[in-house]
Amino acid sequence: MKAKGKMQKARIAIALCLSIIVGSLSASAQSDGSEQNKTGTPGTFAIVGARIVTVTGAVIENGTILIRDGKIAAIGTNVSVPSGAERIDGKGLSVYPGMIDAATNMGLTEIGQGANATVDISEVGTMNANARAIKGINPHTSHINVTRVNGITTVLSHPTGGLISGQSAIINLNGATQDEMAVVADNALVINFPRVATGGGFGGFAFAQQAAAPDVNAAVRRRDEQVEELKKIFRDAEAYLKAREARQKDPSLPLVGIDLKMEAMAPYVRGQRPVLLPVQRERDIRAAVKFAEDMKVKAIIVGGQDAWKVADDLKRNNIAVIYTNIYSLPVQMDDPYDYLFEVPSKLQQAGVKFAISTGNDGSESRDLPYHAGLAGAYGLSKEEALKSVTIYPAEILGIADRMGSLEVGKVANVVVTDGDLLDPRTNVKYVFINGRKLPLTSRHTQLFDSFKDRK
Amino acid sequence: MKKITAFLVLNILLLGSLGGSVSAQAAGGSVLIKNATVMTAIRGTLEATDILVQNGKITRIGKNLSAPAGVRTIDATGKFVTPGIIDCHSHTMMDAVNEGSFSVTSMTRIRDVLNPKDIAIYRGLAGGVTAANLLHGSANSIGGQNSSVKFKWGKPVEDFLIPDAPPGIKFAMGENVKRSNFQPQGGVQPRYPRTRMGVVEVMRDAFLRAKDYKQSWDDFRAKKTKVPPRRDLELEPLVEILEGKRLVHAHGYRSDEHLNLLRIADEFGFKVATLQHGLEGYKIAPEIAKHGAGVSIFTDSWSYKLEAYDNTPYNAYIMWKAGVNVSINSDSNERMRRLNLDAAKVMKYGGVPEEEALKMITLNPAIQMGIGKRTGSIEVGKDGDLVIWNMHPFSPYSRVEMTLIEGDVYFDRAGDIARRAELAREREALERLEQNRPAGAGAAAPRPPSQFENGHLDDADHIDGGKR
Amino acid sequence: MRTKLILVLCAVFCIAFSSSAYGQSYAITNARIVTVSGPAIEKGTIVVREGLIFAVGANVAVPADAIVFDGTGMTVYPGFIDAVSNLGMPAAPQRPAGPGGGAAAAAAAAAAQQAPTSNSNYPAGLRPEDMAADDLRAGDGQFEAARAAGFTTALVTGRSGIFNGQSAVINLAGDNVSGMIVRSPLAHHISFATIPGGYPGSLMGTFSALRQMFLDAQRQMEIEKLYEANPAGIRRPAADRSLSALYPALNRQMPVVFNAVTEREIVRALDFIREFNLRGIIAGGHEAGSVVDRLKAQNVPVIFSLNLPRRTTSAAADADPETLMTLRMREAVPKAPAALNNAGVKFAFQSGGLQSLTDFFANAAKTTENGLSKEAAIRAMTLGAAEILGVDKQLGSIEVGKIANLAVVKGDVFARDRFVSRVMVDGKVFEFKEQPRPPQGGPRGPGGPGGNPGGGAGGPGGPSVAGTYNITINIPGQPLPATLTITQQGNTVSGTMTSQLGTTAMTGNMSASGFSMSGGIEFGGSSITIVMQGSVAGSQISGNIDSPQGQIPFTGTRNP
Repeated sequence: MKAKGKMQKARIAIALCLSIIVGSLSASAQSDGSEQNKTGTPGTFAIVGARIVTVTGAVIENGTILIRDGKIAAIGTNVSVPSGAERIDGKGLSVYPGMIDAATNMGLTEIGQGANATVDISEVGTMNANARAIKGINPHTSHINVTRVNGITTVLSHPTGGLISGQSAIINLNGATQDEMAVVADNALVINFPRVATGGGFGGFAFAQQAAAPDVNAAVRRRDEQVEELKKIFRDAEAYLKAREARQKDPSLPLVGIDLKMEAMAPYVRGQRPVLLPVQRERDIRAAVKFAEDMKVKAIIVGGQDAWKVADDLKRNNIAVIYTNIYSLPVQMDDPYDYLFEVPSKLQQAGVKFAISTGNDGSESRDLPYHAGLAGAYGLSKEEALKSVTIYPAEILGIADRMGSLEVGKVANVVVTDGDLLDPRTNVKYVFINGRKLPLTSRHTQLFDSFKDRK
Repeated sequence: MKKITAFLVLNILLLGSLGGSVSAQAAGGSVLIKNATVMTAIRGTLEATDILVQNGKITRIGKNLSAPAGVRTIDATGKFVTPGIIDCHSHTMMDAVNEGSFSVTSMTRIRDVLNPKDIAIYRGLAGGVTAANLLHGSANSIGGQNSSVKFKWGKPVEDFLIPDAPPGIKFAMGENVKRSNFQPQGGVQPRYPRTRMGVVEVMRDAFLRAKDYKQSWDDFRAKKTKVPPRRDLELEPLVEILEGKRLVHAHGYRSDEHLNLLRIADEFGFKVATLQHGLEGYKIAPEIAKHGAGVSIFTDSWSYKLEAYDNTPYNAYIMWKAGVNVSINSDSNERMRRLNLDAAKVMKYGGVPEEEALKMITLNPAIQMGIGKRTGSIEVGKDGDLVIWNMHPFSPYSRVEMTLIEGDVYFDRAGDIARRAELAREREALERLEQNRPAGAGAAAPRPPSQFENGHLDDADHIDGGKR
Repeated sequence: MRTKLILVLCAVFCIAFSSSAYGQSYAITNARIVTVSGPAIEKGTIVVREGLIFAVGANVAVPADAIVFDGTGMTVYPGFIDAVSNLGMPAAPQRPAGPGGGAAAAAAAAAAQQAPTSNSNYPAGLRPEDMAADDLRAGDGQFEAARAAGFTTALVTGRSGIFNGQSAVINLAGDNVSGMIVRSPLAHHISFATIPGGYPGSLMGTFSALRQMFLDAQRQMEIEKLYEANPAGIRRPAADRSLSALYPALNRQMPVVFNAVTEREIVRALDFIREFNLRGIIAGGHEAGSVVDRLKAQNVPVIFSLNLPRRTTSAAADADPETLMTLRMREAVPKAPAALNNAGVKFAFQSGGLQSLTDFFANAAKTTENGLSKEAAIRAMTLGAAEILGVDKQLGSIEVGKIANLAVVKGDVFARDRFVSRVMVDGKVFEFKEQPRPPQGGPRGPGGPGGNPGGGAGGPGGPSVAGTYNITINIPGQPLPATLTITQQGNTVSGTMTSQLGTTAMTGNMSASGFSMSGGIEFGGSSITIVMQGSVAGSQISGNIDSPQGQIPFTGTRNP
């Protein structure tokens, strides 16, 4: 009897411990339970009687969209629902293509501060062309579910740091493995493009100029030296690749030792894949454009606060901008308060190809629609705002043949809502990625469920 | 209320700390806003309604009001009006955030380091913010004394202070207080406390010392002692807390820490005004409700540090449902500009009703700061702190058209845009002056004298710029 | 060779020589005399005897024993007063300008640590008992540049700390300190500085620490009174010389000078002055024009710094434009003295760290171009200053019985071609020979105001900065330790900095002022570009880190 009581007590204690662990961070920083990691249900789905916002075509009222074999099989007002299809009543609902966040670090970092073990964002050293985001992305990061249940189905995730940070990946926010997630495993080279750094900032005293002010001309020279260093890496890579290729054809030539970093440069020095250049200020964007011109690389600007001032250069070189500064304060004290809200509208008017991205590490990537919405409050039309997080990023990232709009034959990354996709009050009702219907659960809903009824 | 007023008078006499604040309070403006959709944040949304503000106070709300002679009329047809947004956790306009030398710095005062020319104030107005709770950082168990301000951009600093706002103070627990992310190296002693255990003891020690301190004064006043005790600026604010005269705004993340603080408060017989951040408030919503503390949160920021990993955007809903007064703050010069969208989100996460969501950025923070009687909702008798929006403020496409404090216009989008050309001309003229022309050899223009370029999510971490 | 160099330097700079002893009588005749206290005498005589003004007027007889200086074509002014300066004070790291003071703050911290031990209850920098007169150095040589510009008197205080040291009014001649001092101590001087690595470590803390000290002093005074009346049953009050040094300030016997340049600083100083009912004075006062009403209401004089703000940076195509606030401020500052004058706020001029004292008069001229009368400007550097400092009974004007401090000037005192041919300090004569103007700037005397001999070594051709250093990055409230390794090849430097934030590789080069390197630092998953600028002196390294988030000072020592 006594022993039994003890056993029972122990059991209760264990149960208590378990219940605490379920909601506690220590046990769950790396994986967040089976429910939210479900990779969804495959099948044939028909959303019937919904407002279909195709993005690239006209809005279809009271239409039907058919999802089959992972693809969009049909869209229209006269689509017949095949037998065996799961029929979803779309009355009062809107259907959108999944949103694409084109510049994140999704899956490369879980907790930026205080949990270094979860951070895989930046490799040691300056030249890391062979660092591939796809190999660092944690498919089971809690950020993924949190993001996709808000209608973002695809992101670009990229490493940072050094001079050449590594290669980014385009991933769908669903999959048990990195391979299952990959849309384009290695899509671009991230160059931490050298910038003019003059510092300053705090000080707080208007008379700080009496002290030595940073020397902009020197900072420009420093930047240019670093750009030269960067160009040298590109030229070295070309020479390396040329020598390796020649040796392959002619074994009598001297052997050039393998260099993984140089190998990784091949598609980029040859202009087959783009480089991502994170630059904000006019002076640095101009330098980045010139670099792209000089080295004949395909470039995409990331950041781009002042990009509209460089519109002609960008257009001439067919360089797009992934704009990441809606949630940023203007840099200059005298900049108009809405300066950074208005940039997308200015880019659009200037005819520069652009997308809006959160530029976030992944945890707040789900705010993408509100970034676009705010641009919509300051000059951009609602239609353009929606495009800036759907078809535009798809075009810039070279996946518009598969994603970014609701078109027959495209991948079924589909979001069903009860309102405007960009409105923070809107509820996401269904999310499909690759035609799989996903559970709308996440770490957040789990924590909610665990505690909502606690009295 | 009377108690508070009495205390303030005492404060002025004893400390002179509010010095300039009493003198310069202007009467406030008069204005008639016509034909707006008025979201009162207390009595629903009124269509096609007029609001009359006279001498800073709302005097009438109704239809077909006419402007008294000389009072400006603003046509708000098709527009929305809300109360001014109140940010219950801010470090805007502060020339210092943390006095990190000790873990108890209750003697420091934000009032001493206010910068009324911080451009972030204006940008906040452009996002509809009219008032803020300016808090010491979270480096210390017991930080400095707060300032409750209205964003009266362009006015002298003393005009910013809300005269009848009860004084407050910052507390903090957790990672920042125990200096988790700032390991000293090379033989430097770490600051005590280094654990959550120590944090609790530091707080208890401070309050016990404060009780002794109070006793020493009581003894002196009862003529039990000859020599007046030392005025101790560290302990005086703690005595005020014990006497219920000073509001505690306590930074924290983990629910156990919040509970520990509530227990300390119970032990020493005071009430915590707000749990700041409170990302795990939902885990202990019943306990918080029972204690009566408010919670001032981020709607959905999370995962930026270990402590923030257990947040859920349903936090607001669970606590609201449990009867907790919830406000949504920014802790950031950047985020401050879009608190309307943060409030909108709680309608989705759990389903907080629209008016309750609006309250979380207006009336609720006002109540938490002890200024709910004068501002935070659109009611006759309250301050004319109002925001005019181009459309429903929870729409992503909404934009502030005008922000008024006590009937005076402090932000006007049309005026701002119109002024830009004029400023460009002024700049051109100024740049021609000898003292503004470039010198011989050298360097760059200095950066603006603004303390914090970006805000920051977490106030002990201000080197990261906070864009996370 | 070395001697020769010194001789050449003397020919250029040290053109003053003294003549005769103090007891001698002199007469300056046929000069225009600006008495300041009364109307100017177009052609008159001043007689000086035993260091005092013996007679002055249009029809004054020259005594038989007097050495006569013909003042034809000259104007005689009361000797000019630099109303706050560091003249005669030992070279020390420059006082930090504020939280952004950077290298200066770091150097001040290093100096504070090296300061001799004290039995004060307060840390270095927070010791109101410190007296400038104790640190003052005697010797004529150090004042030559100041005298050559026409200055005969200065209020001097220390260069660092929150309490800079109780100041002294000194005459700018004398072989010993006691001979120089006119009055000491004169005032407390407070800077809104911090004590790096200690309390107060922030601007907030500075105010709390000061407030607590003044309160403690008030109480100490009361207890001392009680104890003196009847010591029985009262614990003897501690002998605290820091607190007792504040009694005269609390009793309004001694003024308290606040170094406050910006509007914010001035308002904060005014608040503190009101809080403790002090006899406050503002020093610096560049933005005093915006707060004249409060200055007037509180009857607080301003010792306005003629170190007028101007753009010091060159044009750079890629530079950010200057802020309107800065541009407007530079326009407004020269107008402040007129605003003070019009409002009836007492004011005086100080050199405020000007490199060249010639600029003192050129900048004073700018205030006259911005609404101030020339008479008022002259007054602000003579009698006005003496009044604010409370020495107007003996200094500041040309009146019988006053100290014979005179400046004999050829040409308009505000003009660039002005020449001071002679000054008299305590009746001692210093003569100057007119000489070709150096191409740039004015003479720089040793120990001249604002001279900062504490600059770092290690410029081009200087000692190498290479080495490994343990440094502390003084992020306010949370110092961050790091290891910095620098390698140097000619003018090129590169380095790595390792801290808990990671390792940052940097490259850059040397300049006259030290090294400058930049690199990227990872923080919270994003990359920030930082610029590290600093200098090495002996085994000490100090400087600033500039990042988009701000400027942060660092200090450290070289690992052996």
